[in-house]
Amino acid sequence: MAGVKLEHLSKRWGDFTAVDNQSLAIEDREFLVLLGPSGCGKTTTMRMIAGLEEPSSGQVWIGGQIVNDVLPKDRDVAMVFQNYGLYPHMSVRNNIAYPLKVRGYSKADIEAKVREAAAKVQLLQLLDRKPRALSGGQRQRVALARAIVRTPRVFLMDEPLSNLDAKLRVTMRAELKHLSHELQITTVYVTHDQIEAMTLADRVAVMNEGKIQQLGTPQAIYDDPTNLFVAGFIGSPAMNLLAGAVENGVFAAGGVPIAKVTDVVDQSAVVFGVRSEDLQIAPPGAGHFDASVYASELTGESVLVTVEIGGCRVAVKADRRTRLEIGETVGVKVGAERVFMFDASTGKRLRGGERLRG
Amino acid sequence: MGLSNRQQQQCWEAVRVVLILTAGVIMMVPIAWIMLAAFKQHVDVYQLKLLFTPTLENFATVFSEPYDLGQKLWNSTLICAITVAIAIPIATAAAYSFSRFRLRAQRALFVTILATQFVPAVVIVLPFFILFRDLGILDTRIGLILINLSIVMPFAIWMIKGFIDGIPIDTEEAALVDGSSRLQVIINIVLPLAAPGIITAAIFCFIIAWNDFLFALILTNRDAVTLTVGLALFKAEEGDLWNLLAAAGIIIMVPMFILALSIRKHFVQGMTMGAVR
Repeated sequence: MAGVKLEHLSKRWGDFTAVDNQSLAIEDREFLVLLGPSGCGKTTTMRMIAGLEEPSSGQVWIGGQIVNDVLPKDRDVAMVFQNYGLYPHMSVRNNIAYPLKVRGYSKADIEAKVREAAAKVQLLQLLDRKPRALSGGQRQRVALARAIVRTPRVFLMDEPLSNLDAKLRVTMRAELKHLSHELQITTVYVTHDQIEAMTLADRVAVMNEGKIQQLGTPQAIYDDPTNLFVAGFIGSPAMNLLAGAVENGVFAAGGVPIAKVTDVVDQSAVVFGVRSEDLQIAPPGAGHFDASVYASELTGESVLVTVEIGGCRVAVKADRRTRLEIGETVGVKVGAERVFMFDASTGKRLRGGERLRG
Repeated sequence: MGLSNRQQQQCWEAVRVVLILTAGVIMMVPIAWIMLAAFKQHVDVYQLKLLFTPTLENFATVFSEPYDLGQKLWNSTLICAITVAIAIPIATAAAYSFSRFRLRAQRALFVTILATQFVPAVVIVLPFFILFRDLGILDTRIGLILINLSIVMPFAIWMIKGFIDGIPIDTEEAALVDGSSRLQVIINIVLPLAAPGIITAAIFCFIIAWNDFLFALILTNRDAVTLTVGLALFKAEEGDLWNLLAAAGIIIMVPMFILALSIRKHFVQGMTMGAVR
């Protein structure tokens, strides 16, 4: 059991900077998710923790010890790879047993531990198969079993679910959550899937372009994004982001006034953000602004209405009984306390003036 | 009335079979001729008759004085076996490095290694002769082993590298994180997975070394003469002794046939299937 600490960690290849001077402290037993689009440096960060990549500068600490010069095998971590990284020439049993074998455990010990780990991920029936005779989900379970067969100080998981089909991913996600609760081991989990991040994490570090954009609980990341990138990346459907200007206390997109805002100084380039579930469809004239319906999609649990105003499209999550015609004019009501303003050039959040008036 | 699709397909099938058979016959005729000649009396050799009384006398003759093919067979076997035994471990290590490590001037090195293959043997055989004479290893097995190593090694490195490239890097990294040293990764993971490739490369190297004629011809004259050079013994004053040549030819060919067959058995792809998605 141990915490992980990154101090001013960078990784550069020539001119390309994958990870840019990042610091991060991961608590003992914490489940931390590194979330970001591909190429944002999240996998590189994890590989530096594992010792598969050497930092260009900065330090990696595991359990109060600098491990920069420690070989992967001596870092006492276990890793699950996106492509599983199984040993194709070994049976499932030998795959799971490998970390114990190279550490010189006794035969009886190995067999007991392998069975225990296999039981945890429901693989007992498949111990004598070769990986090629397994389905994708089963292979991923083997990789998991191999990671949990001994008790490492840290688990590292590199997009472990992204090769599975959608349905299996949901099941495995729940199993992972259960397993991590049961094992109570520090876990660093890399994903580009925000749902995985939201559901699994104690804390999420949203990364982009080699930098951690925001670190916080899933709730905080969702409710209180610090910048435009985080706001746009988290949430499905994505947050509505309208580029426009604030003039005389009124936010307007493409010259069309949308809403009055308080305390925001007049600015020519701002982005106004609001999530689809914080908007409501109202009769024309009864909302903050009127717009025409561009599309209306029934998703089952709700109706996603896309309206057009000032050249922008805005998604509104409406009650599932809502029925609207394309081209119809509707009013849109904005949940007053759930809007965000960003500086369009820097992407930074403009705090303080994010309330609607009237 | 046109042919149905099915009939057309059958037609093509027939044409294909005929073409393949023709090609097969053209390739097999010389070999068949040698097979027959090896079992014929000297007087029968030039006659194309298929019915004759077969004899093993030719084989007995080539192994006895003055031809003494046994010694040459032993030379060839020893030279090839030692060449392969030295070349494959070194080539495997080199191939692994080329495949997995970022080395300085890696590209240039690899191209250089390949480039050695493009130099025609005749160009370098004389320098080698002088070099070997000065080193005092003319007409020795060690000399030929050195020469054969220089011929097969680039080929082996190149071929084994291809197989190692095919092993998913994730598999190796998983083993590193799981607690193995680099050497354990190579022994436990890479070697078993690359085994089909390494065996294939070994057999190819053996065949290349076995078939070498030019270097053996120039660099040996009595003690280290190999089988291929030994063939030249049968050009006598009374003309080519075709029946003996054929018998010796069969002795050269048979081990190659067996090796070629075993390549087929070992050349099993799909070993790495199932490691990754």
